[in-house]
Amino acid sequence: MISRFAAGIRYLFGLHHPGRNLAVLPDDIFLVSYPKSGNTWCRFLIANLVYSQQNPNWGNIDKLIPGPEVATKRYFQRMKRPRIIRSHDPFDPRYKQVIYIVRDPRDVALSQYHHHQKRKLIDESYPFAAFLPRFLAGETNEHGSWKQNVASWLAARHGDSRFLLLRYEDMIASPQLELGKVAEFLTVTATAQDLARAVEQSSPERMRQLEKMNADKNALTKGTRQDLPFVRTAKFGNWKSGMQESSIAAIEAAWAPLMKWLGYELVTRDSRLVEDFAFLASERPVVVQG
Amino acid sequence: MFNRIVDAAKRALGLQMTDRDFTVFPDDTFLVSYPKSGNTWARFLVGNIVRPHENVDFSNINGIVPGPGATSDRELRRMARPRIIKSHQYFDPRYARVIYIARDPRDVAVSQYHFQRKRKLFGDDYPIEKFVERFVAGRTCDYASWGEHVGSWLSTRNGQPGFLLLRYEDMIRDTAHELSRIASFLGLDVTPDVIQKAVAKSSANKMRELEKSQAQMFAITKDTRQDVPFVRAANAGGWRSELPAPLVHRIEAAWAPLMRYLGYELTSPGIEKPGALETILQTATIS
Repeated sequence: MISRFAAGIRYLFGLHHPGRNLAVLPDDIFLVSYPKSGNTWCRFLIANLVYSQQNPNWGNIDKLIPGPEVATKRYFQRMKRPRIIRSHDPFDPRYKQVIYIVRDPRDVALSQYHHHQKRKLIDESYPFAAFLPRFLAGETNEHGSWKQNVASWLAARHGDSRFLLLRYEDMIASPQLELGKVAEFLTVTATAQDLARAVEQSSPERMRQLEKMNADKNALTKGTRQDLPFVRTAKFGNWKSGMQESSIAAIEAAWAPLMKWLGYELVTRDSRLVEDFAFLASERPVVVQG
Repeated sequence: MFNRIVDAAKRALGLQMTDRDFTVFPDDTFLVSYPKSGNTWARFLVGNIVRPHENVDFSNINGIVPGPGATSDRELRRMARPRIIKSHQYFDPRYARVIYIARDPRDVAVSQYHFQRKRKLFGDDYPIEKFVERFVAGRTCDYASWGEHVGSWLSTRNGQPGFLLLRYEDMIRDTAHELSRIASFLGLDVTPDVIQKAVAKSSANKMRELEKSQAQMFAITKDTRQDVPFVRAANAGGWRSELPAPLVHRIEAAWAPLMRYLGYELTSPGIEKPGALETILQTATIS
């Protein structure tokens, strides 16, 4: 009862986290992805491009590009517009302008497994083989399964001019090019130097360095194990060496059509037999190289 | 400020009207559709098989198959489980068991136009051309566009356990058959007799009759125009006579793949034949 009363008081003063009740404004831009798909990196990239004077770091990134579960309702009300807001939500029709980052679910599974260790949700003895079925069922977080999250956005918005689909793998391979697309989407004028600088300022090395300084000031890293980094490998294809064949097979068996549609090469089945992801425009990403 | 205090107090006591924001239990079943797709009719059908010995009507349906927009979180939490809850929400990962009703968007547009007239959102002279333009953009209600709504559910859940896809048109054609599918999805052991009676007790005529005396007892029809009925044509294909061809084309152009997937015949010239892409993703069934 006390905690409900306290929650009521916070609510009264707008000091609660709005979550899905966030009052969305028509000019808001949402940076959306399933968890562990490069959202934080992308926040740094954008912040280093758009808010570079404020020297983006782990201490202020939640202010520059806040999430509805982290910043308060009042903070959102006072933000300068247009606001750039990060989110892990599955499709939400109120989000009109969306940058959506998708990542190979085989890498997402590994990344989330390590992140759960860092957050002390599981310890190191917890086998990946036990984590994976829960991951596939969408039980490892509150944002649906990987497929549900990705498919809900693609089915609703792919082909819309206010929907920008990015792949984490493309961002790793050519960050400047992909950040250029983001800049264009945000209608921010950016020279090649601006883009290069933002990429440089958001490199894994620099983000690791900043993480060491400010891990206690960020909602994602505060109170987590400090012996495990938030910025881990910052690569793609980790699953190729870090995952058992049976696990790879389980992920592909569950989500092959969508993976194929996204250009993620399937290794455990004859890809000619895989049905394609349905009712989307034919324009699709090319196969991920490397 | 006063409103905020009331709002905060309601929230602290669990009395806020819930809509999307309420406590979901894993054994809940949701009766989901885009607005004006036969949800109220389906609630009556379900209500009449769940409570075969009661008279389900507009005054008590919200206590049997509640709608979160008209029920507080506290009331919902106090209901006997497993609950069957009506919803117009777009994809929500918390809904483990979903009966999803899809309806031809051309008919949905016509139905929503008349319903919004009934709700006095615009007058009788409001041009349907203007309405359809907003309908296609998802600006006529709070639950996304038809394509976004249907797409968000089908792409995430169709073909998976815990998801039953129904078409309004099939429900009209063979109500008893579709209702028995609902019954087995709900794990109810009901006799054909109960099904037949439920169909009869939920017929359009029966519902029209109830609506006449009970419109003020039902949140959806309360304080709306009483000269425009809630239970309207209750048929499929009304768009063929009610919707001008350019508007039909507008809707078909917006959602052709999804409409085709659902088996709604397209009439616009130049809309291609189905492609291989449109076999719905059936994720775990490829061998």
